[in-house]
Amino acid sequence: MLALQLTDVKKSFGKVHAVKGLSLSVEPGTIYGLLGPNGAGKTTTIRMIMQIIIQDAGEILLYGQPNNQKMLDQVGYLPEERGLYRKMKIEDVLQFFGELKGMSPGEAKKRSQTWLERFNMTEYIGKKAEELSKGNQQKIQFIATVLHEPKLVILDEPFSGLDPVNMELLKNTILEMRDAGCCVIFSTHLMDHAEKLCNAICLINRGQSVLEGQLAQVKKGFGKRNVILEYDGENGFLDNLAYVEQVDAYGNYVEVRLSDMSKAQELAQHALKHTQLRRFEIVEPSLNEIFIETVKKG
Amino acid sequence: MSKMLTVMKREYLTRIKSKGFIIATVAMPLFILIMVFAPVVLSLIQSDDQQKIAVIDMTNVIYPELETNLGDTTASGERLYDLLQVEVSAGELKAEEERLRAEIQNGELNGLMVIPENVFQENNVEYYAKNVSNFNQNREFRNAISSIVQEARVRERGLSPELVSELTRRVNLETFRVGKDGGEQKDAGQTFILTFVLVMFLYISLIAYGATVMQAVTEEKSSRVVELVVSSIKPFHLMAGKILGIGSVGLTQFLLWAATAAGISAYAGAIVGMFGGDQSAGLAMPQIDASILVYFVVYFILGYILFATLYAAVGAIVNSQEEAQQLQFPVIMLLIIPLILMQFVIRNPNATSSVALSHFPFFSPILMFTRIVVETPSFGEILLSFAIMIVAIAAMIYLVGKIFRVGILMYGKRPTLPEVLKWLRY
Repeated sequence: MLALQLTDVKKSFGKVHAVKGLSLSVEPGTIYGLLGPNGAGKTTTIRMIMQIIIQDAGEILLYGQPNNQKMLDQVGYLPEERGLYRKMKIEDVLQFFGELKGMSPGEAKKRSQTWLERFNMTEYIGKKAEELSKGNQQKIQFIATVLHEPKLVILDEPFSGLDPVNMELLKNTILEMRDAGCCVIFSTHLMDHAEKLCNAICLINRGQSVLEGQLAQVKKGFGKRNVILEYDGENGFLDNLAYVEQVDAYGNYVEVRLSDMSKAQELAQHALKHTQLRRFEIVEPSLNEIFIETVKKG
Repeated sequence: MSKMLTVMKREYLTRIKSKGFIIATVAMPLFILIMVFAPVVLSLIQSDDQQKIAVIDMTNVIYPELETNLGDTTASGERLYDLLQVEVSAGELKAEEERLRAEIQNGELNGLMVIPENVFQENNVEYYAKNVSNFNQNREFRNAISSIVQEARVRERGLSPELVSELTRRVNLETFRVGKDGGEQKDAGQTFILTFVLVMFLYISLIAYGATVMQAVTEEKSSRVVELVVSSIKPFHLMAGKILGIGSVGLTQFLLWAATAAGISAYAGAIVGMFGGDQSAGLAMPQIDASILVYFVVYFILGYILFATLYAAVGAIVNSQEEAQQLQFPVIMLLIIPLILMQFVIRNPNATSSVALSHFPFFSPILMFTRIVVETPSFGEILLSFAIMIVAIAAMIYLVGKIFRVGILMYGKRPTLPEVLKWLRY
C-alpha cells in the first residue's frame, strides 16, 4: 500500500491557481524529495496533505485512507515557517507537542529525553526556547515533529538555516529513520541533498508535476548525454562543434553535453588531437541539471 | 476534543504561573483593601502637629467663642490650634500685621487670622499662612467663624438662635428602590455607584481578557509556531482552546477576588478594630444581590466569548502586536459605545431605545446588565438577550473560524478588508 497518494489535486486562491492537477505516489519506507523552484506549489501541496488548507478538488490518501485527523496523528510535519513558544521551557514545549499528537504526558517526557540525548541537547531541557540559538531551536522543532514516532514524516525545507555540522546530523537522522521503516518526504531546492538522500523525487513547477519517479529511473530517462573531460591545454577546441550543446567549464575540468551520444567517439578523437587528455568519462546528468533543464523547458 | 483541552491546559497553566497574573491577582485586592481602609485608618491616626495661630479680633466679641469652637485636640491630647489673641488698636493694625506675617515667614507662627470690625456687614475674614491649601482646615475655620457671626446676627434681631435653627431645618429626601418582589429597599444612591462600578469592572474585564486572546494568537503567529500546532489540531479547536483557556484564567481571577472581598467584608470590623477604631462604625460595604452576581458572571462569560472571538480574528489577521493595537480599535468601539449609552439607560431603563439597544448582542453585556442592576427587566427579556448573544456567538465563531484558519498562515503585508472577506470563501 502506498504511504501517500495524491490524485489530480487542485487548489486556487482567488485567481491564483497554486496547484493544478497534481498527482504523485510515495512508496512506504522510502525517502521522497519534493523539488521545485520557489512558488512552484510545494508548500501548498504539503499544507493540503496536512489538512491545514483544503484542496478544491482531487483526492489525498494516507496509507489508503483519507487524510483525516486520525491518520494525520501518525504523520510528523515540520513546516517551512517554524518557531517555538519563546517563553516556554524546552521540556514543556516538547511535552505540549507530544500531547497534541495524542501521547500520554509520561510517554512524551520519556521520548523527548531520548531525543535530546540523541542530539546532545540534554543541558537545554530547562531553558526557555528564546535562550537557544537558531540552529538549536530548529533541532527542537525537529524533535517536536518526530516525537510521536510517526510512520510518515514530512519536512518542508528542513535544511534551510542549518550549519554544515547540523545538516550532516539531520541527514544522518533522516537515513536512520528510513532504515527504521519510516517514510520521509521532504521539500528542498538544494539538489545536492536530494540527489544524495532520495529514493524517488517529484519535480513540481507552476503547480504541476513535471517529472516523477525513482531517482535512478528519472536520470536514465533523461539519457546519458554528458561527458567530463580533463586535459592540459586551451579549451578553444570545443568551439564551433555542431554536436556540442553546452559547455560548463569548472577550471580543472569541463562538462560537455552532446546533442547525440553517438558523437562521443568523435569528441574524444577531437580532444586527443588538440590537447593532452587525462580523463574522458560519460556520466549521468546531475539532478541540478535535470532541474534547471526541466524548469526552463516548462 | 482532547487536543482542545491540551491547548486549553497550556494557555491556562502558563498564564496562571506567570508573574503578571500573580501580581495582578494579589495587587487588585490589596488596592481595594487600601481604598476601603485607608480613609478609616487615616482618620483614626491624627498625627497633626500643634499649630500656633495668632488672632487679631477687632470686634472683641468673636475670639472667646472661637477658642471653644476650634477645640480639636491632637493625638497626644494637646489643643490642635494653639490660639493666641493679639490685641491691637486700629492705628497699629497695619504694623502689627506686618510683624506677625514676618513671624510666619521665619516659622515662629503657623498662621494669622484677622477678623475686621465690619465682619458682621462685610462677611470677610483674612487668614495668612505658608500653606493655605489644606481644605479641611480652611473649612473648619470658615464654619467656626460663620456660626459665631450668624448667631450674633440672629441675636441682634432679637431672635433666639435655637428657634432659627429649629425653623430652618433641612428636609431629608429618603429614596427607596422598588424591587422585583414588590418589597422596598432603602437606597441612597448606592445603586448608581454600584451599577457604575460593576459595569466598569465588566468592561475592563472584557477588554483585558479579549486583548489577551488577541495577543496570544498574534504571538503564536509572529513566532511562527502556529503551523506546527495546526498540523496536529484543527485551527477551530486551537481557537476554541485558546479562548476557553484564557477565559478560565479570568474566572479563576474573579473567584480569587470574590473570596478576598468576602473575607474583607466578613472581617472588616475586626481589621478596623485592630487599628483601634470603633468596630461598629460600620463600613458601608454595599450589599450586592446574589442574583446580580450571577448575571455578572453570565454576561462576562457570554460577552467574553463573543469579544474574544472578534479579538482572535484581529490577532489572526495582523502580523505584530503593533498592528494589532491599531486593528483592535473597531472592537473596542463596540465596548465603548454602550458605555457612553449607559448614562441614558440608567435614567430611562425602560425606554424603547434602551430596551432595543440592550438586546443588540455586542451591547448586551453592558447595557442589559445595567438595566438589570437599575431596574430589573422581565426574565423573558433577559432570556431573549441571552438567546440573541448565543446566536451571535455561533455566527461569529463560524465566520471568525474561517478568517482565523487562513489568517494565521498569512505572513507579510497586512491584508485589506476585501482580502479578509475573500478568505471566507477559501
